[in-house]
Amino acid sequence: MPEQQLPEEHLRQVRELGKADIVVGIPSYNNVRTIGHVVRAAQAGLAKYFPQFTSLIVNSDGGSQDGTREAVLSSKVEDAHLLMLDTPKFPVHRLSLPYHGIPGKGSAFRLIFRLAEMVGAKAAAVVDSDLRSITPEWIDLLLRPVVYADYDFVAPYYHRHKYDGTITNSIVYPMTRSLYGYRVRQPIGGDFGMSRRLIARYLQRDDWETDVARYGIDIWMTTIALAEGYRVCQSFLGAKLHDAKDPGADLSAMLHQVVGSVFTLMQEYEAVWKTRSGSEPVDLFGFRFDVGLDPIDVNLGRMLQAFAKGCKDLAEIWSLALAPDVLDAVLRLGRQAAAGESGFHLPDELWARIICDFAIAHRDKPPERGHLLRSLTPLYLCRVASFVIETQNLFSAQVEEKIENLCLCFEALKPYLAGRWGAYPGPKRQPEVQTAPAGAEPSKVEVPKS
Amino acid sequence: MIAMLQQVLERAYEHLLFTLTTYLPPLLTAATILVITYLIALLARWVLVRIFKGISVDRFLYQSGISSMFDRSGRLRATHIVSNGVYWIIIGIGALTALSAFNTELTSRMVETAVFLFPKLVTAGLIVLAGVWLAQYLGRGVLVWGCNEGVPSVRTIAALVRAVVVFVAVVVAADHLNFARSVFLAAFVLLVGGAVLAASIAVGFGARGAVARHLEGKRESQPPEAEHERSLWNHL
Repeated sequence: MPEQQLPEEHLRQVRELGKADIVVGIPSYNNVRTIGHVVRAAQAGLAKYFPQFTSLIVNSDGGSQDGTREAVLSSKVEDAHLLMLDTPKFPVHRLSLPYHGIPGKGSAFRLIFRLAEMVGAKAAAVVDSDLRSITPEWIDLLLRPVVYADYDFVAPYYHRHKYDGTITNSIVYPMTRSLYGYRVRQPIGGDFGMSRRLIARYLQRDDWETDVARYGIDIWMTTIALAEGYRVCQSFLGAKLHDAKDPGADLSAMLHQVVGSVFTLMQEYEAVWKTRSGSEPVDLFGFRFDVGLDPIDVNLGRMLQAFAKGCKDLAEIWSLALAPDVLDAVLRLGRQAAAGESGFHLPDELWARIICDFAIAHRDKPPERGHLLRSLTPLYLCRVASFVIETQNLFSAQVEEKIENLCLCFEALKPYLAGRWGAYPGPKRQPEVQTAPAGAEPSKVEVPKS
Repeated sequence: MIAMLQQVLERAYEHLLFTLTTYLPPLLTAATILVITYLIALLARWVLVRIFKGISVDRFLYQSGISSMFDRSGRLRATHIVSNGVYWIIIGIGALTALSAFNTELTSRMVETAVFLFPKLVTAGLIVLAGVWLAQYLGRGVLVWGCNEGVPSVRTIAALVRAVVVFVAVVVAADHLNFARSVFLAAFVLLVGGAVLAASIAVGFGARGAVARHLEGKRESQPPEAEHERSLWNHL
């Protein structure tokens, strides 16, 4: 990565630091409430588990006004003796820098990756700044597979409330799993570990100025790692407790960025996903245990109302994407939601068809992409409402079974997706796929049963 | 009496002869021209259908949403548009050539006007087409945004946006044709109005984040209900 792309001030600070073996990146925007805890956990984790390495904590900030950057630089591990930390051979350095460009998590990660490359880091981890449940062990679990076991990408594996992460559970996990054939349970978890070669690959890419600059970054990183054959594993991190994701950001924008990234990457990796069927487990490290989780209140009535309104207003736009039989079924559900009838239920097969049809329309109608992705919001709320009704009396293991069934539906529908995708008239774009460097094998080890 | 009758008949015969000798040749010429151009048009359409089959214009129309503007199923093919367009252009040229065969002042003026207007007609058609496309695009944008934000009567608002944009396009096209020049001022006012509307929508979209962040400050100090709403949005 050319050094001159970074501001002189950043370069000066990095040059002063010299080299670092490990980098932990923390993107932030007005997270003064929680970032101190995250920095302390990262610092303790590096000192405790990687004392023999030089390390650097980088805060990539999006222009916080609440003293986030000061909190990063001033926080320190005060009770080192309670953590039973050895005196590290090398100090843990800290940097807090503002990133430039499109405001968003992806742009923050870009700066972190550039700095990691500049200091010659052999491994890097990124963790969210709004985490309340992070412990020093997270740093170990995210970095150890890279540092000691030659993995390229470590995805998180958490216990989450059944209503937490509904975009993950309803769309991103089933889609990623059915497309690329690997069961990475939290593909957009936000906390990842990466090898030097994977970071180099990320920086090589030229799509940073897209939705990748925002919420699309997580699925982008995971998909590249899976589709290009890098060694991928998961680490069990316990519970994920965090502040709500940017409450100011609206749901349709979030869906647009995340789902849009999934669909865009589908086009690029068409040659990869079309050849894969079914799915296989991915290595899972870490000792698994049950944890208590924050309750999540959902407003079911409001979701159904939003869906009914969508059926009334957006049928014209949905008809651009959905097959006629799917649209009919959706509109029937809309009438049911509007009438407040009991037994509201969106079948898994129908939901999977909806997503597949939208993926195809996203490929076929570039000028309508924005409208299509944003029009997905009421349908997504329909899915969430149906899921909430279905699982309100279920325990997390039973809920996980439901999600597994949904994934199997997506996998079963893959021939339909591939068939409709292939039936498109006209020349196809050549995929720009770069395979992983020699010696990097995709992981195929059995996952421990939960 | 007989001589008078003969005179009348002779005059009628002369008139008929004059009419036939004056108008029949150009009429026959015009008919021949029309038949030939019809055959050429048919041939051109046949050739174009074969040439354009599989060309990426179909893909462009499908992806740009232009095809769904005219055909809900979005399956309208460029091949048909282009071949039929060329067919009708040739028929039009044939008709004008046939008219000019009469070589009268009226037909000359008609041909002249048609030739003079043709490029303008094409431009005006393109203006209207672009307007319809833009109207549909903006209308859909408003529809999706309004629906997600829970705006009431959003379909009416979207239809209004569409109507305004199409109306502006029609006024611009009419002005380009020098048709109803007097409405130019009105068109200008409408254009400015449309621009203000578009700017308002753009600012609305662009400033949503800022407004939300501004409101966020207020929400933080609000009671548990707001906190409950927040927890709904742990989607990622």
